[in-house]
Amino acid sequence: MELEQFFGMKDKGTKRFTQWDVPTANATGFGAAADDYMERGIDLNEQLVRNKPATFFMRVSGDAMIGAGIFNGDVVIVDRSVKAANGKVVIATLNGEMLIRRLEKAFNKIRLVPETSRLSPIDVDLSGSEFSIWGVVTYVIHSL
Amino acid sequence: MKAIVDCNSFYCSCERVFRPDLWNKPVVVLSNNDGCIISRSDEASKLGVGMAVPYFQSRHIIEKNAVSVFSSNYHLYGDMSWRVMETLRMLMGDREKVEVYSVDEAFLDLDDIPASQLSNYAQFIKNTVEQWTGISVSIGVAPTKTLAKMANRIAKKDKKASGCITILATDETLHAALRQTRVDDLWGVGRAYAVKLINWGITSAWELSHMTEEWAHTNMGGVVGVRLIRELRGQSAIVMEEELVDKRMIATTRMFGRPVTAVHELKEAVATYISRAAEKLRRQQSAAGVVSVFIVPKEGNHEANFRHGPGVSRYTTLPRPTALTQELIKPAVQLVEQLYENGRTYKKAGVMLSGLVPDDSIQGNLFVPYTANQNRFLMDTIDNINFSMRDDSVKFGAAGMKKDWKMRQELRSGRHSTRWGELKEVK
Repeated sequence: MELEQFFGMKDKGTKRFTQWDVPTANATGFGAAADDYMERGIDLNEQLVRNKPATFFMRVSGDAMIGAGIFNGDVVIVDRSVKAANGKVVIATLNGEMLIRRLEKAFNKIRLVPETSRLSPIDVDLSGSEFSIWGVVTYVIHSL
Repeated sequence: MKAIVDCNSFYCSCERVFRPDLWNKPVVVLSNNDGCIISRSDEASKLGVGMAVPYFQSRHIIEKNAVSVFSSNYHLYGDMSWRVMETLRMLMGDREKVEVYSVDEAFLDLDDIPASQLSNYAQFIKNTVEQWTGISVSIGVAPTKTLAKMANRIAKKDKKASGCITILATDETLHAALRQTRVDDLWGVGRAYAVKLINWGITSAWELSHMTEEWAHTNMGGVVGVRLIRELRGQSAIVMEEELVDKRMIATTRMFGRPVTAVHELKEAVATYISRAAEKLRRQQSAAGVVSVFIVPKEGNHEANFRHGPGVSRYTTLPRPTALTQELIKPAVQLVEQLYENGRTYKKAGVMLSGLVPDDSIQGNLFVPYTANQNRFLMDTIDNINFSMRDDSVKFGAAGMKKDWKMRQELRSGRHSTRWGELKEVK
């Protein structure tokens, strides 16, 4: 959208740190050479959360998406600012329920497809039901 | 141009983000202790549910129409508020162009936006906030903050017609808006002044805007009145304020979940509130010189259950300002002992820290013995543990273990956006 270019944001990430947060070896003797190679450790927030005010965590209940590697009890990261394109795993609201499914968009038809043979795909009746996309699932956190 | 972005029925909207089954349904949120209605969705207002009235007064409407009722969930509202404000800051690109005015309102400085783009821009902000956070907002845009507030009122009055956005950028639209706005609906006109103005025959904002500055100076509280007149005429007189001004006073007050009669329970409550207030004190790097405590007894007879008796309060001036919880709890508990009357029933207590000064123990002071700084480390450690573990994992014994006097929140929803254990479930 033209407007978005016009008023584009400066701050696109969730990085909140200064150069002082970079640790140093603090060696008094010959260790000092390592200081040149010091960098910040990996921060999961930075890697997994692209847009903090728009990102929510949710817990999956059920087996609807096991084929996509999302199991009962897993936590999914949901970004409301990501565009819900065809093929994305989304959180959809259908007649008051929140569902996690794969989104299939074709012409003016929308299908919510589970990744298990035990459930069948839902053909969304866009005129007769209350339907919306709540957010797009970007990552899943699975405990081993 | 200035804008105000105001969340629609904010607390109800927060509850509904995670409850699609309640979209377009009547919802109300109750105050602390489930006493009063503090937020209602449009659907609930239409049913005739009153605002800021005791819950029991609207109970018959609520039960008859199956209105969904929530206890206040301040963890959720606080987080959603941050999300809305952060979205605005990201969109504006410059933190100084956003002034967070309250938990659900922010002023924006739109001086750099060309007049032809104002409408597009307001729409873009509204859409983005809704898309990212799930909270719907109304926006008023006008040459000054006071007029922006007025524009927003108009936008909210008929959301369908306005699309939740009102822009007053031309003289015609501004004049029409001033004519239809009553003085008592203006931002910055308190009830006392509104009554005075109406008695003088000044009923609309339009009429008020035509009074002279000299008149306002003598009749409307000096400089404040002059500013109001200027703002109404479209000359910006109330500037954007910087965020995070340190508080000059920190208070924590709560109703009890049940009437409290024992002095040890009162002491526990006051010690708990002190711990909370001291945490806020340290967060803004201040130390307090004065501790005040007040307790509110229940009226004698039982039918006056919803009225307060006269509260009693006392304060102590500390030998030197401090930010240490243990040094604040001690005088506070002594104050409770002085205030407490045996045989009375209490329903509310509160503490206030004032006489705030910058906390010099942070930098470390050459003339203060080292022990003071050791205490500071202790406080930092406690704050860090409580911040990461939540729910006051580490606390002082004086604050009690059982805390069964804590306030009632029987209908609170899950803290979906701040607690790992209370995430919203999806099927």
